[in-house]
Amino acid sequence: MSKHHVTTTLNGNAVEFLCDTQQTLLEVLRDELHHTGTKEGCGTGDCGACSVTVDGRLVCSCLVLGVEAQGKSIQTIEGMAQGTSLHPLQRKFLEHAALQCGVCTPGILIAARALLARNPDPSEEEVRFWLAGNLCRCTGYNKIIEAVLDAAHEMRGS
Amino acid sequence: MRVVLISSHSGHYTGGVKEFEIEAQTLHDVIRVLNQRYPGLGEHLEEETSVAIDGEIHEVAYYHPVRPGCEIYFIPKIEGG
Amino acid sequence: MDAKVIKQEGQTLKIVGTSPVRPDGTPKVTGLARYGADFALPGMLWGAILRSPHAHARIRAIDTSKARALPGVKAVITAEDFPEQKFEFVGPERVAVNFWHMTRNVMAREKVLYEGHAVAAVAATSKAIAEEALRLIEVDYEPLPHVIDVDAAMQPDAPLLFEDMITRGIDPPPGKPSNIAKRIEFNIGDLDAGFAAADEIVEMSFKTAPVHQGYIEPHACLARFDSNGQGELWSASQGHFVVRAFTARLLNMNIGDVLVHPAEIGGGFGGKTVIYVEPLAAALSRKSGHPVKIMMSREDVFKATGPTSGSSMTVRIGVKKDGTLVAADGVFKFQAGAFPGSPVMNATMCGFAPYDIPNVRSVGYDVVSNRPKSAAYRAPGSPISAFAVESVMDAVAARIGMDPLKFRLLNACKTGTPTVWGPKHAHDGYAETIKAVLAHPAYAAPLGKNQGRGVASGFWFNNGGESSATVHVNEDGTVVVATGSMDIGGSRASMAIMAAETLGIEYDDVRAIVADTASIGYTHVTGGSRVTFATGIAVVEACKKVIVELCARAAMIWKLEPGEVVWENGCAKPAGAAAGKFEPMPLKAVAAKRALTGGPIGAEASVNAGGAAPGFATELCDVEVDPETGSVKILRFVVAQDVGRAIHRSYVEGQLEGGVVQGIGWALNEAYIYDDAGHLLNAGFLDYRIPVASDLPMIETVLVEVPNPNHPYGVKGAGEVNIVPAMAAVANAINNAISRRLTDLPMSPPKVLAAIHSGRKG
Ligand code: FES
Ligand code: FES
Repeated sequence: MSKHHVTTTLNGNAVEFLCDTQQTLLEVLRDELHHTGTKEGCGTGDCGACSVTVDGRLVCSCLVLGVEAQGKSIQTIEGMAQGTSLHPLQRKFLEHAALQCGVCTPGILIAARALLARNPDPSEEEVRFWLAGNLCRCTGYNKIIEAVLDAAHEMRGS
Repeated sequence: MRVVLISSHSGHYTGGVKEFEIEAQTLHDVIRVLNQRYPGLGEHLEEETSVAIDGEIHEVAYYHPVRPGCEIYFIPKIEGG
Repeated sequence: MDAKVIKQEGQTLKIVGTSPVRPDGTPKVTGLARYGADFALPGMLWGAILRSPHAHARIRAIDTSKARALPGVKAVITAEDFPEQKFEFVGPERVAVNFWHMTRNVMAREKVLYEGHAVAAVAATSKAIAEEALRLIEVDYEPLPHVIDVDAAMQPDAPLLFEDMITRGIDPPPGKPSNIAKRIEFNIGDLDAGFAAADEIVEMSFKTAPVHQGYIEPHACLARFDSNGQGELWSASQGHFVVRAFTARLLNMNIGDVLVHPAEIGGGFGGKTVIYVEPLAAALSRKSGHPVKIMMSREDVFKATGPTSGSSMTVRIGVKKDGTLVAADGVFKFQAGAFPGSPVMNATMCGFAPYDIPNVRSVGYDVVSNRPKSAAYRAPGSPISAFAVESVMDAVAARIGMDPLKFRLLNACKTGTPTVWGPKHAHDGYAETIKAVLAHPAYAAPLGKNQGRGVASGFWFNNGGESSATVHVNEDGTVVVATGSMDIGGSRASMAIMAAETLGIEYDDVRAIVADTASIGYTHVTGGSRVTFATGIAVVEACKKVIVELCARAAMIWKLEPGEVVWENGCAKPAGAAAGKFEPMPLKAVAAKRALTGGPIGAEASVNAGGAAPGFATELCDVEVDPETGSVKILRFVVAQDVGRAIHRSYVEGQLEGGVVQGIGWALNEAYIYDDAGHLLNAGFLDYRIPVASDLPMIETVLVEVPNPNHPYGVKGAGEVNIVPAMAAVANAINNAISRRLTDLPMSPPKVLAAIHSGRKG
């Protein structure tokens, strides 16, 4: 079985990789491209730990095939900070202690950024429903919601 | 001081006796005295129980001081999540 | 020197109780932190595990020859690759590790005991080849009758998991084997006389479903083991020293020949205090000569790890008209899963612990059945018995017409109250949590139609035990603190806070790390709410040693006697006869002269911390029940917990918030569902539904701080007791809303709807 040659953009950089037909984008990111910031919590689209954006659209990378990345632009957690400067969401997650174990955090940050790109001024309820596909077992969500609302507030101000 | 064995296996060693009056300075002495009376009991207490000295729960360790009149309970060891 | 460095009551703490950013935060928000599945080595193989399709079957034969012949397959293992272990229970009664059981749980031998039980494992050059090789392994099974439910498993004619298991804890031992591994009983007072003196008696029976810890990170590890008998593991666990000890034992290796690196851990809640994949990866690596990585799928996690026990319970409580409790009796039957070792003993000890009751009997049964071996889950055992006891307490309060919180307050234990397991309580804290909820605005807030309010309380033994820490002063006067405690929710930050407070320096001048098993002394698991207490004591002890050394160095610089220097506010200061002779010398200045005064400054402290104080929590829940669908919405939830003292305030709050939400999931949604063949039907997050953000309100936390005098900063422990009252609080709220008492968890919409239509008042 020969592999597919895929050309894509990852966090703004041109990238090429070889993958099997059945390999998911999540597996490609983690196993082939060594971007292990995107996490696997279920592999079935139920937990959101593997959230990335493909051409700006929020997806579970465990439900996307690696070959589908051809010609697309993929954004993962590794591309969220600008150099040494953290994205406001990342900063607010730290300030609000919005992570305990942190394994859900990359997915939630990516999902929250996608929310704020559409809706810069979400209500608490809107944040809760937008993030309903991202499971966190540690925090009970309080501080995650607070951090997202606070980051939205700051981003609107600037 | 009053020494009470609560852990469910200690009865094997003592023929069911659970309460003792013992004079000792440290927990080590308490265990030694009990083990002299009931060979094997000492190791059971050391390996498989915690100890409450006047209600304060400790892992079993030789150096714990025990004062005259205090209450010592050897209780099952708790392990959390 | 000793007591001076520790802030006493009344003195201001500068850093303890604040919420600085955790030292390991940035890698965790940038995706650079490395968890169990994130490690790789050159030449690494992928491991995969073949699992039983049967709930119960004898293994007649396993033929691995075709799998071994597949190109790319480098090793295949079965139980034959692990040495037999002696049948004996070792260690503390509650966990009573039996390696004969453990080696059979990680790899089935004579029989498979649950669907998903591992029977063989493969290492191959790719995931796909490893999976294909599994399909080529031929296992000849003889299916056997199985049993899932705890009450069914206790029947005399139930299929037996172990044909020779005689119940322990019954004198004389029963003459026949059964699935009952153990019976436990605790007593105080005279039960019959107690109930005879009662004006009112309430008795109810309950069932709870097994629930999974539900950590988001599946178990994963990377192993590199030599054929010459040494090896390394990168593993996400709640205790790398325990992983080391268990893995070495199952592979018949010396503990010192196994090095375990602490990967970041993606949640555990008790479920990662035991091992599953580590010995398999290690054995595959040893056999193949290559590093091997194994990652569990979510389905594997549900089918073959955790969960906590399901139960069947009956609780009877007797009370005087004036509200005084006089007698209580509880029978708690717990599913252990496929091997003995449910947390039923904790349940029997904790259930009635919050109350001053003169006559109590508490009986527990540890029962095996054909489901995965239970593992610890947040205050293991206590939430289950509390669901029964706190539901009955609610009904008793209603029966005698008393406010449920005032009823609890009237009977609350305090220092000196006897416990059912013998000794008297040595700490207060329970009454304070009740008062905190009584005083909370939520308690008097009005309720609407179909809404109800419930309260409940809980008790948990926070743990102490063995921990190690080192504190090193760097050349520039900053400090590194290393401990052996896995950081599961911000403990590096708590350790840095306690070190900075003790040394009198800035938080940002302290870096806290988790050291591997070769770099620090033995440290017990991150569990039992023990880390901030026990490892915190080790950190403070190490800091105190460093302070003694810093004073000695300053004395040398000043040409004073060591006794003439004290440590204050991060500086050495001449004292006694020498007082005022020199300006105070900050830590950085002492560090700068370290070479001139004897070389690097640092210390290690290892402790076996005793005097852990128990945790109490009281919770309030408001619900709205939809009479059309039976679905329950949580409107408001308040948790008041005695934490002793919060070191990192936000992370302590986070423990309370997270624990409560796990309890809400346990109350309303979560359950293992089996078909008639003993197959788990909901082994995924879609059908095993844990709470999501839109299910919940903001959880309101009240940190009650009754300091523990046995910890330098008063810590009791925060991680666990918050989950204990939650299910009863929800059940009591539902009862308040619909006048129906639900006694069977989870209280899912069909059950609530059936209760509404039953016409039976609660
Ligand atoms: S890993 Fe993709 S949704 Fe869970
Ligand atoms: S912080 Fe652990 S799962 Fe969210």
